[in-house]
Amino acid sequence: MSMIKTENLCKSFHSLEVLKNVSITVEQGEVVCIVGPSGAGKSTFLRALNNLETINSGKIYIEDVLVEDRDNILTNKVKLPKAQRLAIMLELGMVFQRFNLFPHLTSLENIMIAQTQVRKRSEAQAREKALALLERVGLTDKADEYPNKMSGGQQQRLAIARALAMDPKVMLFDEPTSALDPELVGEVLDVMKDLAKDGITMVVVTHEMGFAKDVADRVIFMDDGMVLEDAPPSEFFTNPKNERLREFLRRILTKEQ
Amino acid sequence: MDNLQKMLTWMPSLLKATEITLLLSILSTLTALFFSVFLALGKISKRKIISKLTGAYIFFFRGTPLLMQLFFIYYTLPQLLPAFNIKSRFFAAWLAFSLNIAAYLAEIIRAAIQSIDKGQFEAAKALGMSYSQTMRLIIIPQAYRRMIPPICNEFVMVLKDTSLVSIIAVVDLTYQTKMIASQRANSLVYIPAMLIYLVITAIFTFIFNKLEEKLSVYE
Ligand SMILES: Nc1ncnc2c1ncn2[C@@H]1O[C@H](COP(=O)(O)OP(=O)(O)OP(=O)(O)O)[C@@H](O)[C@H]1O
Ligand SMILES: [Mg+2]
Repeated sequence: MSMIKTENLCKSFHSLEVLKNVSITVEQGEVVCIVGPSGAGKSTFLRALNNLETINSGKIYIEDVLVEDRDNILTNKVKLPKAQRLAIMLELGMVFQRFNLFPHLTSLENIMIAQTQVRKRSEAQAREKALALLERVGLTDKADEYPNKMSGGQQQRLAIARALAMDPKVMLFDEPTSALDPELVGEVLDVMKDLAKDGITMVVVTHEMGFAKDVADRVIFMDDGMVLEDAPPSEFFTNPKNERLREFLRRILTKEQ
Repeated sequence: MDNLQKMLTWMPSLLKATEITLLLSILSTLTALFFSVFLALGKISKRKIISKLTGAYIFFFRGTPLLMQLFFIYYTLPQLLPAFNIKSRFFAAWLAFSLNIAAYLAEIIRAAIQSIDKGQFEAAKALGMSYSQTMRLIIIPQAYRRMIPPICNEFVMVLKDTSLVSIIAVVDLTYQTKMIASQRANSLVYIPAMLIYLVITAIFTFIFNKLEEKLSVYE
């Protein structure tokens, strides 16, 4: 069973084509990293999965259930009952580059609010789960702190805990470490590695090539709205087939030195 | 000395009328506040009809003079619809002010809501929260801090604008002042009257400044 499958996703902003027939499959338990230059459409792809962007055409399956089927931006041919659509969307957790934590709520409340409102858990259940998650991401002592009082790395770990609280089957990460000071990147990547070890399915847009090499089952190279390479990291980094990917890796490696 | 004496004897009736000024300002602003939340949500609604209708309402009440709106409700409406014969002048004033202030407050609230980072809506959506849950629990609690200063400002404007109701003979501070001036043939009465306006705006400005200070602590 595939966790996520897209067929020929296309997305334009006005006349700018951002996704051009993107077809990607993510199997259960896989960690897939997506890399590529700025403007390649990586974020747009991730956001389309989560319905934060409406695609112009193509199909999206989540756990083999067709959720989007469009030939134009206005009509989705799939009509699912609201509750089922919500249930499917909750299978996907999202972590944003800029955290998007709720600044008027404490850490604990950030993790509890959707549990009580959307999952309809009791206050006590939600709190128990939130405390367990705070411990998991190493923020036990920050339970009553407001996000603005925390470091970037702590905020991103909190955002990961908030997404996990909904028990998603897939976690989507959009450059989770790009807004962080270099010395804070490691603590977030460690939490993500931990998740990968636990077997949760992950789709990670990232510039952290080390993470992709070590953790990913597959690495996808996107450029100009297209998937140009899709291979296990061993092949992807040592024997890239696509010319633009070779160029991309050359540039990155010289920059890293 | 003689003048001061006179001014002091006018004071009780002026203060009595001040109660009406205050009552009208506070009642109208509170009514408008309630109403304006719906107007603001309507204005940003994705449903075209709703946003067009609320937009038209706001445009109308901000685009015509308040005094005309007052006349319209007190004189024109009863002529058009006899059932709408508003007997109480105070009620007509209250209605006109509430409708008018609501339009201004709606714009304040809309601007505050739209000043909240789009990422907040996206995070809430990604967590499966509905539009109304997002508004109620995420957006409005953040936006309301940004609304307080302009709403307070608006209230101070309203305090002074209520002097317009003297024209339809609601016995507010302005009306009472005019009465004294003409009955006693003494225009000195405008001095204590203006001082009263100054004192109440000063008091409210002081309270609101304190409130803003307190709110900004949490930003
Ligand atoms: N809401 C939008 N309106 C118009 N254009 C947009 C919008 N969002 C993205 N774009 C454009 O779509 C293109 C792809 O954007 P996207 O954010 O998906 O790229 P990306 O691969 O994530 O790049 P980055 O590495 O910089 O995050 C860019 O040219 C961007 O300017
Ligand atoms: Mg991006």
